Amino acid sequence: MTAKKMGEISTRLRAIFALVSVAFVAVLAVSPVRDFFQSWKRYEKNYVSYAQTRPDTKRLLADFHPGIDQIWLPEMRVLDRCTTCHQGISQTSLSDASVPQPFRAHPAIPHDVKKWGCVVCHRGQGPATEISEAHETTLAWEQPLLPIRFIQASCGVCHRADLPQTPKLNRGRELLSQLNCSGCHHLQDIERPAMLGPDLSNVGNKLTRQWIYKWLKEPHTVVDSSGNTVVDGYETVEEPRMPQFRLTDPEIKALSAYLTTLKGQPIEPAKFDQGVVASLQKSPDLADQGEVRFRQMFCTTCHSLAVTQGDETKLIGGNIGPELTKVGSKINPDWLVAWLRDPQSYLPHALMPRYRWSDQDLYKVTQYINTRLTDPELLSNVPPLEEPAQEEIRLGQRLFLEKGCASCHVIQGVSPQKDFGPDLAILGSKNVSQLEFGNSSIPRNIISYIQAKITDPLSVNPAARMPQYRLTPTDLDAITTALLGMTGSPANSSLARLIVPRAQGAFHPAGAFGELSDRYKCAACHRFNGDGGNLAPELSFEGSRAQRQWIMDFLKNPQTLRPTLIFRMPQFNLTDQDASVIADYLGMVTQSAAVKLSAVDQKQFTPQMAEMGKQLYEVKYQCNACHTIGSAGGYVGPNLSNAGNWLNAAWIEEWLKNPQALVPGTIEPRRSLTEQEVQALTAYVLTLKQKAPGSAGTTAGGAQ
Amino acid sequence: MKRRDLILFLIIPSIAILSSCQHKPAAAPANPLLNAYDVEQSSTDPQRLIPLNYQQAQGKRVFNNNCVWCHADSTPAGPSNRSNLTPTPPLFTDGETFNSLSDDLMRNTITLGGSAMGKSAIMPPWGQTLTPDEIRAVLAYARAVAQPPYKASARPASQ
Repeated sequence: MTAKKMGEISTRLRAIFALVSVAFVAVLAVSPVRDFFQSWKRYEKNYVSYAQTRPDTKRLLADFHPGIDQIWLPEMRVLDRCTTCHQGISQTSLSDASVPQPFRAHPAIPHDVKKWGCVVCHRGQGPATEISEAHETTLAWEQPLLPIRFIQASCGVCHRADLPQTPKLNRGRELLSQLNCSGCHHLQDIERPAMLGPDLSNVGNKLTRQWIYKWLKEPHTVVDSSGNTVVDGYETVEEPRMPQFRLTDPEIKALSAYLTTLKGQPIEPAKFDQGVVASLQKSPDLADQGEVRFRQMFCTTCHSLAVTQGDETKLIGGNIGPELTKVGSKINPDWLVAWLRDPQSYLPHALMPRYRWSDQDLYKVTQYINTRLTDPELLSNVPPLEEPAQEEIRLGQRLFLEKGCASCHVIQGVSPQKDFGPDLAILGSKNVSQLEFGNSSIPRNIISYIQAKITDPLSVNPAARMPQYRLTPTDLDAITTALLGMTGSPANSSLARLIVPRAQGAFHPAGAFGELSDRYKCAACHRFNGDGGNLAPELSFEGSRAQRQWIMDFLKNPQTLRPTLIFRMPQFNLTDQDASVIADYLGMVTQSAAVKLSAVDQKQFTPQMAEMGKQLYEVKYQCNACHTIGSAGGYVGPNLSNAGNWLNAAWIEEWLKNPQALVPGTIEPRRSLTEQEVQALTAYVLTLKQKAPGSAGTTAGGAQ
Repeated sequence: MKRRDLILFLIIPSIAILSSCQHKPAAAPANPLLNAYDVEQSSTDPQRLIPLNYQQAQGKRVFNNNCVWCHADSTPAGPSNRSNLTPTPPLFTDGETFNSLSDDLMRNTITLGGSAMGKSAIMPPWGQTLTPDEIRAVLAYARAVAQPPYKASARPASQ
């Protein structure tokens, strides 16, 4: 019995053992089977069969190597196996949209895809060979693929200088500096300018407490007939300004109380020549005359005004200075006169030029501003504000620091908190676990985080001090792109070698021209050697381009004949002395090495050559499609009616041979002209002269 | 006992197999944000937006720098030079004119200019100003936004 039972048990044990063994083998087999059915192997197989359906099978298969394909960039710490599945990535014959993914070729880009791999730009997990691990956020990898909308961020990691191919990234960087983000945050390659918001040390002399209250509470400056806000005092694309801070009514009262006590230097009452005032005071159209001067001087090149046309109210004018539609209801009239006479004595870093005003003009223009650019209803909804109490002033002073006002506005004797906002220079390389999402329900990734933080900071951090920005979706994406590209300084020297730095031009002229350049703020609009504004033509080579007398005439009376140009150079009322100093400086210093003025003798141009040039201009090359002479021709290039008085012969010759060599990016197409044709065209252009001095063409070499 | 063995036999491998399956997170909903750099409003239906790929978007950039002045009715600077010209240049979206022209003809006209191709000399040659890639990109952009839409199959694509 026992033996029989033993036998039964051992049979059963054997059976169990057999079963367990089979189970064990089966479990062990999972791994090789899984390996055999790896998705990348499937894709490789599919690629081979797909290649056989293509006309260039032979070449495709010659480039195909089975097994894991990887690109290793040790200095970047990148291991990239994407091409294991993305087999056709550099096969130009597979670039058509009908080619199924993952075999489609990458669009032509300036970088060699086979050399750099994919993750350098697209992010994601390079070594992964599973679809989800390579593309998505997993427990082991926090940086998913960068959505293609933001791909230009990756260009910005190395290309710190703006590239023409990355308009979105460039726009984002431009917004970051326009919106004064550098006031509170440290940003990569965006330096803090000398002045962000105006210096408020003396603001009590300029503004009333009521106006400051209104500005802090609801700075809508222009409302159209149906009550819609047209100009929002907070930032808009046309009018970037102070952002929206979350302030309670007592806080606004306290801040306005504190700010009105800031009266550094008393403003002297406006003084005009008594004769001028007496002669103008009675004229019924004084404000109209002021408006005419305001427009003639092209104040609107920098300042905008709301203009109602039909049902539509919109801002017209530039955004270098503030919008002025209701400025007459804002400022103290005595302050206005003092400001216009010498802006820098109130704000040392102001971009406003110091005009040479005649008393007549100044009187007329200030009368226009004080009577026409006003709104009697502007302060109607401001509650009565009593004399500021000491307590309020103290609270206001504290709030000024706590709310971050001091990060953009200077007040003498008040030092701002250092590093008020977090450092954003490394934001683009942060992992999801390093970001604070609070209680918000947004997707856990860096893009949602950045966008939530900009559009609704409280949603991710209830204690956020950051103001709220209202941006269009396009601008929001642009700014996100720029921030994603900020990945900090390169981790090692071999990476540092790859960085294309942002060119830091410097233009600090000294001497007599230096003084004038500082007075008239030339660099606010014009660029010199990579430094300055972008509104007006670059002047780095103006001395090679324009004749001295033309520069003099233009400075005295800047009339452009280009009808498409909205912004024009203001009339500064320069003296002859000023104009000749500037013309001498431009003629001597701003020279292009490519243009040898002395090498071209004007006498060599004969009337026969000019006649041939006229034929070439009008018939063979049809230059009149873009350039105007007299009253006929196109609007794209500058008007050439007075080109003979404007341009130097040597410049015209070099320009015709290769415009882009003189002004990179200019749109005038380069043509294959023979030497004879160049000379003939130059001879013709030099005959184009207008008698009246001052009616000159623009200096723009067709840059825009 | 036997049943338990069987259950055990089934459970172990199935756990192994299940654990090898990945958890697939739900796909994120498509973002409704529109992008002016990567899309183009249809010239006939403002509600319809045409997505642009990399090459077409680069073409849009080049177009807005060099071509927009004469081949569109509004330009970054405001008015257009188009109405000023005789013969009037076709609009860049003019599919009726461009769809029947081959890629080679279009590229050669841009590269060599109108006079080289027997057209008006007011179309300048861009071959020395733009790179071949930029010219290809401009063409890709014009094809993408053409109205009526351009169908590549209508003509054999040239490489």
